[in-house]
Amino acid sequence: MSHPALAGQDAASATHAAFARPSVVSLSGITKSFGPTLANAGIDLTVCAGDVIGLVGGNGAGKSTLMRILCGAMWPTLGSISFAGTEVAFAGYDTGEAQRRGIRMVHQELSLCANLSVAENFFLESPGDSASRPGWRALYRTRARAALDAVFPGNGISADAEVGHLTIAERQMVEIARAAATPGVKLIVLDEPTSSLDLDRSKQLRAFVREKAKAGLSFIFISHKLQEIIDIATQVMVLRNGRTAWQGHAADASTGRLVQLMGGDTDPVHQHTVSTASSQDVLVRLSGPLTSGLGHDVEIVRGEIVGLAGLEGSGQKELLHAIFKPDRKQHAPVTRHADAAFIAGDRQKEGVFPLWSVLGNISIGAVVRRSALGVVSDKANHAKGSGAASRLRLDDRRFQSNITELSGGNQQKALVARALVADTPIVLLDDPTRGVDIATKQDFYRLCNEVARGGRVLVWHTTEDAELLACDRVLVFSGGRIVKELRGDAITESAIVGASFVQETDKRASIARSQTAMAGLGRKLVNAAPFIGLAAVLAIMIAINPAVASTFGVDLLLMPALSLVLVTAAQMLIVGGSEIDLGVGAFAGLVSVLSATLLYDQPWLGALTLAAAVAAYAGLGGLIQARKIPAIVVTLGASFIWVGIGYALQPTPGGTSPDWLSSLFNWSVGFVPTSIILIAAVALIILTIDRLPLGVVLRGFGNNPAAMIRSGWSPTRYALVRYLIAGLFAAAAGLSLTAINTASDINSGNSYMLLSVAAVVMGGCSLLGGIISPVGAVAGAVTLSLIGALLGTLSVSSDYNAATQGLILIALLTLRSLTADRRSEQ
Amino acid sequence: MNALAGFSIWAQRNRWVWSAVGVLFLWLLLSFVTSRFSLSSLSGVMLSASFLTVVGIGQMFVVTTGRGNIDLSVASVITLSAFVALLTVKGQDANLAIGVVIAIVLGLAVGALNSLLVVVLGIPAIIATLATGYVLATATLLSNKAIPGFAVSPALKDVATGRIGDVPIMAIVAILGVATTSFVLRYTVFGQLLSAVGQNRAAARLAGIRNGPVIASAFVISSVLASLDGLLLGAYIGGAFLEMGQPYLLQSIAAVVLGGTLIFGGAATALGTLFASILLILIVTTMQIIGLPPGVQDIVQGIVVIFVLALAGRQALARRASVDSAESEQTSAKAAAGAAPTRPE
Repeated sequence: MSHPALAGQDAASATHAAFARPSVVSLSGITKSFGPTLANAGIDLTVCAGDVIGLVGGNGAGKSTLMRILCGAMWPTLGSISFAGTEVAFAGYDTGEAQRRGIRMVHQELSLCANLSVAENFFLESPGDSASRPGWRALYRTRARAALDAVFPGNGISADAEVGHLTIAERQMVEIARAAATPGVKLIVLDEPTSSLDLDRSKQLRAFVREKAKAGLSFIFISHKLQEIIDIATQVMVLRNGRTAWQGHAADASTGRLVQLMGGDTDPVHQHTVSTASSQDVLVRLSGPLTSGLGHDVEIVRGEIVGLAGLEGSGQKELLHAIFKPDRKQHAPVTRHADAAFIAGDRQKEGVFPLWSVLGNISIGAVVRRSALGVVSDKANHAKGSGAASRLRLDDRRFQSNITELSGGNQQKALVARALVADTPIVLLDDPTRGVDIATKQDFYRLCNEVARGGRVLVWHTTEDAELLACDRVLVFSGGRIVKELRGDAITESAIVGASFVQETDKRASIARSQTAMAGLGRKLVNAAPFIGLAAVLAIMIAINPAVASTFGVDLLLMPALSLVLVTAAQMLIVGGSEIDLGVGAFAGLVSVLSATLLYDQPWLGALTLAAAVAAYAGLGGLIQARKIPAIVVTLGASFIWVGIGYALQPTPGGTSPDWLSSLFNWSVGFVPTSIILIAAVALIILTIDRLPLGVVLRGFGNNPAAMIRSGWSPTRYALVRYLIAGLFAAAAGLSLTAINTASDINSGNSYMLLSVAAVVMGGCSLLGGIISPVGAVAGAVTLSLIGALLGTLSVSSDYNAATQGLILIALLTLRSLTADRRSEQ
Repeated sequence: MNALAGFSIWAQRNRWVWSAVGVLFLWLLLSFVTSRFSLSSLSGVMLSASFLTVVGIGQMFVVTTGRGNIDLSVASVITLSAFVALLTVKGQDANLAIGVVIAIVLGLAVGALNSLLVVVLGIPAIIATLATGYVLATATLLSNKAIPGFAVSPALKDVATGRIGDVPIMAIVAILGVATTSFVLRYTVFGQLLSAVGQNRAAARLAGIRNGPVIASAFVISSVLASLDGLLLGAYIGGAFLEMGQPYLLQSIAAVVLGGTLIFGGAATALGTLFASILLILIVTTMQIIGLPPGVQDIVQGIVVIFVLALAGRQALARRASVDSAESEQTSAKAAAGAAPTRPE
């Protein structure tokens, strides 16, 4: 294993070794192009049982693309994949198929559903054994426990804990354990698994990987921490610009060699020095807790390039954003004395305007700094834009192309040009060279120097430590604070890395937790609102009219509430999927009309029509998901269809309720009011659905659809199921309307649309989805339907009903938004 | 072939052309099939379409702010404004100025309320505007009881129903509005900011745009236009009735989407909204001529909206996919983007 070999022979010997052990999966000739850029070019990768392959490469080297292809999340332009020597066509190869063949990936951006428990997340990844039998939760609880303990002994994570309440490191642990525990897993891809783990956990993980690899499980280990790779891997694969730069035994690799192979610049990046002339002009001042570790304030002066270093997520980004939008309070830790422009590194999410041309994307930087009523001129924009572009060697003949047609590097140039035309004294850079080719980087470094020499301040957050060598000063972050300030010659990679690890503990996590506890108290009060409201409304009504408290009185009041409760159940399911149905009331009205006309006259035809209506409703859900169109507009359009059909069938209120239908809602068991039994039954049914594996899947989709898809669940199928169940509830509401009113009116369901949303919100569901709270929503629905009766009892004109309902909804949402835990919801 | 390809590229940038083609096609078909369709009947259609265009333009501003923002309160604003006009103008030209001012104030107030709920409190626009609409419904019921009678100011009636030659004054008003809006969207700073906010809010914020005021102004524009529209519509029908604004709820959204404004925000076309308004009114008129019952008319409108959205949805998908694929390393998973991977030949 350890005999010295040349790079070329290494690859050969690695391939040779492949024949010794059974191959798990093999990719060959993988090429993937995105327009003009090749993300992968002719890559071969064979994984054998027991291999630990360390995959390294700079940002943009093609690692993620290759792994997506391996995991079925993307198809290559060219190339083939084979399992145990048998080729598989990519056409039928998707995430689900990859999982069936035993490939699991632990993603860098975590793919757990935060609204579900640890055990439920284990279920989502391997649902096979549950089979909906009672006690399925216990099975997954045990499995989660065992899996966590196997990888990370002494972790202290409860299997019943909601993932949203765990720290980032704990979530990472859950995710790794989940992948490792999957039955039938053969290959686990770990993408930067140790980025948020501390040293002990990282060691535990590596020990686990080593042990499992001996037992025949394979791993692909992606990490920027090269020492880890050399420590854990048996084989190493280096990617560079989408090509295999080297493939060989880990024993033949060293950190230095890997860096060189990845194309890391061993030459120091051009060093810039502050021109002393203007150095007294302070533009940014940092103080308070942020700099308490340094013992003095940090002042950033004109002409300086200040680098922000540290482990990823230690507070560098937060500082950039704080400088961009400083707190206006008097003793704010961050103050700035001049305008600032921001260059985002996450181009898609925070940078480009995808509908615009390159020129539009550049000139917006200058446009925003003008009066809103000003007139823009293409000519002036072009002149200004070409000035900036030429400094960046961005060809202005491409100005009219759509920004998305450009390569990542050129898009980044456009964003830099945007900051140049903004012409601000302060420029903030958020890791702008991420995924950018080396030539662009060189242009970029040169420009930084030029800009700083021109008397501007650059504050530069980078994840590439080598880039920090170009700075005049480096602030090293740890745990959300600046722990070290390096200047001039003291800026070396080892000094930066050394300082980054000073403080291992992350203080912010504990602070965040105590804040959550405070907000939690407020939220508990809001969550109790439906019950408090219900009690208050009932108390007032009984006080005014004691007869309300009798069995008959309760039925008289609550029977009409049943319909709203059912519509609310339907709406809650839709809201649980982070959509809103504006047609649910009209649909209930249509079912009511159908049941009082067709179902009464021709029972079989009526039943068939009802089934067709529910199917159409479910189909709408499928259409919304499959075409990715906004549910609001579709359901609003659908509401016109439902009402239209209703009018066509029955232009004026009338019809007759079938006897069997009436008797369904018209029975008595003596002293317990029928209405209460029925309403409780509805609550119980929703509760049951929610506790079933199906309910867990639906909630999962409401919270994190991308993660659900990665785990192999079909979004369209579950959108259909969600709307089907909602449609059944809405249909039941329509039937109850007919039975209770003994006739039908197409407009009878109209008021339910707003009320159902209000009840759902009142019950504690988030309009962002993922939360189902049957009891609260039912209580909310009952309260809201009593409001009308209450106003009547208080002899307020019914004209005020609509306003009261609207105001209640506004008040509830206002309360909710004031007490909401914003971080978790965004 | 080249001309065709050229046209398709041009049409991608000028999405209003499809609704214009639709208008032309349907009008030719109608004049061919029935003898009752002529240039003068088109002027009647134009008149009805003008009222829709005015609310549609307002709705377009809100939709362009992105994130599925929609103003559901326009219907209630139209109705309430018509009733308030009866209360304030009382059929006297002398009171007209104050009536117009009050209509604008009403629009400003509702727009401010919607903005407060959406921008400051972070309530989803659909729910916020829906709730506002309910509050306004009560106000309408109350003003319905207070109105002295159905009298309309003659001057206002002239604007709403009058013609210059064969062209309705309202149509001129609407076309001027569309021209102004087109200019604002294309050539002013505000238009650029609105588009930027609608395309990518995080990027807009980091580019230095204060998103809140931009979004708020869209809601204010929508409410003010709806309010003025209600004033004119009341003059047109010679009074006011409950639910008179109701048809404009779906139709205004339909006109926006059908016209080629992106439902996901960021790109608006006032010209498209104008043509789509005419197209929708043409469809409704056709159904009336054929003698379809009102129920069926509702059904057809609902189907048109869903159908157009389902078609437009694919374009949006393609656009998102192209954004994603531009950067290899940062491409979000195909599933997350919702785009199907493309199979090589």
